[in-house]
Amino acid sequence: MAIPELVIPDLEINRRLTVLPMQEYYTSGHRTCQGCESALVMRYMAKIAGPRTLVTGTTGCMYVANTSYNSTPWALPWAHTQLGSAGSSAIGTAAALKVLMRKGKIPDERINVIAFCSDGGGGDMGLATLSAALQDTRYNLLILLYDNESYANTDIQASGMTPWGAVTSFTPSGTEQRITQHRWKKNVPALLMAGHPTGRYFANASSGFGMDLMDKVRIALDVGGPTFVQTHDPCPKGWDFDPRMSHELAILAVECGITVLWDCLEGELRYQGLTKQQVEGKVRRKPVADYLRRQGRFAHFTDEDVDFFQSRIDEMWEDWILPGVLRVNQTPFGRLPVDGSSPRQAGHAGAAVASGNGNGSGGAQIEAVGGNRA
Amino acid sequence: MSDETSVGAVDVTYRGIFQKNLAGVITKELVKAARREDKVGGTVQRYGDSPERNGIPAKQFAVIADDMDSLRVEMTKYEPENVVVVCVMDDTLTKGVESWAWYGVRPINVNLAPGGTLLVVSHRSPEELLHWIPRRTYDWTLAILPGEPSFGGLWVYNDDGTDYRTMGAVSRVTGGLISLDSLIAQAGSAKNPDLRAAQLREGYESVQMHPIAAGVGAQDTYVPVEMPDWTQMREGLVVPAVEVGKNNTLFMKYTTRTTRPLVKFDTCVKCQICYTVCPDECFIPTPEGHYDVNYEHCCGCGICAQSCPVSGCIEMVDESVFESNEPLHKVFESDPAAYEDLRAEKVAQAGGANPHYGIY
Repeated sequence: MAIPELVIPDLEINRRLTVLPMQEYYTSGHRTCQGCESALVMRYMAKIAGPRTLVTGTTGCMYVANTSYNSTPWALPWAHTQLGSAGSSAIGTAAALKVLMRKGKIPDERINVIAFCSDGGGGDMGLATLSAALQDTRYNLLILLYDNESYANTDIQASGMTPWGAVTSFTPSGTEQRITQHRWKKNVPALLMAGHPTGRYFANASSGFGMDLMDKVRIALDVGGPTFVQTHDPCPKGWDFDPRMSHELAILAVECGITVLWDCLEGELRYQGLTKQQVEGKVRRKPVADYLRRQGRFAHFTDEDVDFFQSRIDEMWEDWILPGVLRVNQTPFGRLPVDGSSPRQAGHAGAAVASGNGNGSGGAQIEAVGGNRA
Repeated sequence: MSDETSVGAVDVTYRGIFQKNLAGVITKELVKAARREDKVGGTVQRYGDSPERNGIPAKQFAVIADDMDSLRVEMTKYEPENVVVVCVMDDTLTKGVESWAWYGVRPINVNLAPGGTLLVVSHRSPEELLHWIPRRTYDWTLAILPGEPSFGGLWVYNDDGTDYRTMGAVSRVTGGLISLDSLIAQAGSAKNPDLRAAQLREGYESVQMHPIAAGVGAQDTYVPVEMPDWTQMREGLVVPAVEVGKNNTLFMKYTTRTTRPLVKFDTCVKCQICYTVCPDECFIPTPEGHYDVNYEHCCGCGICAQSCPVSGCIEMVDESVFESNEPLHKVFESDPAAYEDLRAEKVAQAGGANPHYGIY
């Protein structure tokens, strides 16, 4: 059956996509799970990037599932790159293209360079190379981080972007300790945005909002320079829910305010879609329990755990300088270590106790240290 | 186990992730029980099935031997030989098994030893199952353990007794590869020994055995896939890309499917949502704006049925009532009324469509 021809729309940067492109450059026949939203992200990305695109990908689900055993669903040129090297492969590919064009070996034309990585390969291991890539303004490249909140390919190990309390192979829930994932999820897009004034475009998207995601990839490629897009994709295998709920769960994460749809184009922060309505107060956020209670990885949560999760999300919306994106006022996360290695207890235990509630009392700390020296 | 050989293997074929814990319990407990009879044993998950994906057919084996040397020899093989029982944990697996690591769809009983038993957890009749299971050149036995397929999750063990009932049935159909007494003794170390023993006895007694003669069953169309050797591979591990507008034909995904989306084209409002949300790119646009389903690549995740805004337009229907993977829109094109009859008939045959989960 012939697929209708539809060229990638040539839009101004700030116009929104209204028609879905019909061409597929990431096609059927991949070895992903039932209901894999990361595969959907790959599909959207390839669809909007179009045929003049080079893609590299780090080790992870979207590498193993798509190019194993001598077959692939990619219609775009794709190359594997090592875990943690998404940034370096992007910059290397972009630089090589530039040199070939300068020397006249290939015609001087626009070729998109996209490197994708996952929360483990990009958010944990590859953060250094992402940082390096986003500092170099000479090249046009996009880094897409698909965040399924664990090392999903190797059967779900906790990453720095696994939510607080979730069950993974590394953080099981036991009878002695109910919660073993003590870390709060790392906010990678804001971290990169805040620290890299050289980056031209940063965005946080969701697989549940395909048009918005495609728009963000399109803007990133059109605006040029180093750009970064992160997507939030439910993983039915590791999050433990029925695959048919995948897409709705991605939407629900936005409705609960856990995933925040924002982008930052050349320094200007904007919210999109449902998030924009939430920020403007037109739509209320749903309780996070709706989202948490649908997933097996949170099945051990008590009501207090859900309340704690809700309080952190509320704070993210109510107390942060940029709601859901950047914090200034926030209560510290978790307890301080209480063993002998605690810096506040070094030398003089009494002074640390006397310094108050240990809640942002920086002044008292300095005093205590000074007292010890004297 | 036959007399001349001292090694027997139990193959547990299951739905990846959903039944991983189930298969793990069955294989491990069988081996532990065998050790109570002074046999030796080990379990092995086929390397190529890992990392496992949701729903994709996968295998775990329990290998039981009389002496350590025979066990060691058997455990080094990619797939153990002399498989005396193949336990099929979901009856739609009888339509064929395409592991994510394997080229091509293999019959469910491809490695069953002569005289062996195919044990299926199902509510279906032997005739219905034999409609799918290919014939062999030797006699074998089809055993049916009445029950619903048990689906759990990676972190959730679905404790409905299917594992212990299957073990009881394995003891019965093998005629004592592992005795029921050893299994009950082994279950003594479980949390609910009495419940487990009851489940083992229930499985032992409720399994129905049907001897199948050589040559009875579906036509065997399986052709082993020839893998390219290293001289045929392209330099630098280059994999040929697919052409624009085509699919990856070397890996289909349809044996992952337990239910398939069936579209009621005349109620379709052409909103494109199914096309947009399908992670497997299985909806093919037709000239009149409908979306036909590519059943060769559809893995039956159900996102389309869940996302479709029209009630009853896309329904998930049990896979076992369908004959082929042919797209159905051409039937609708030639005669909408006939298509609607076909659709209604299939839904009725499957005992109704899978329920929609509702909008949260």
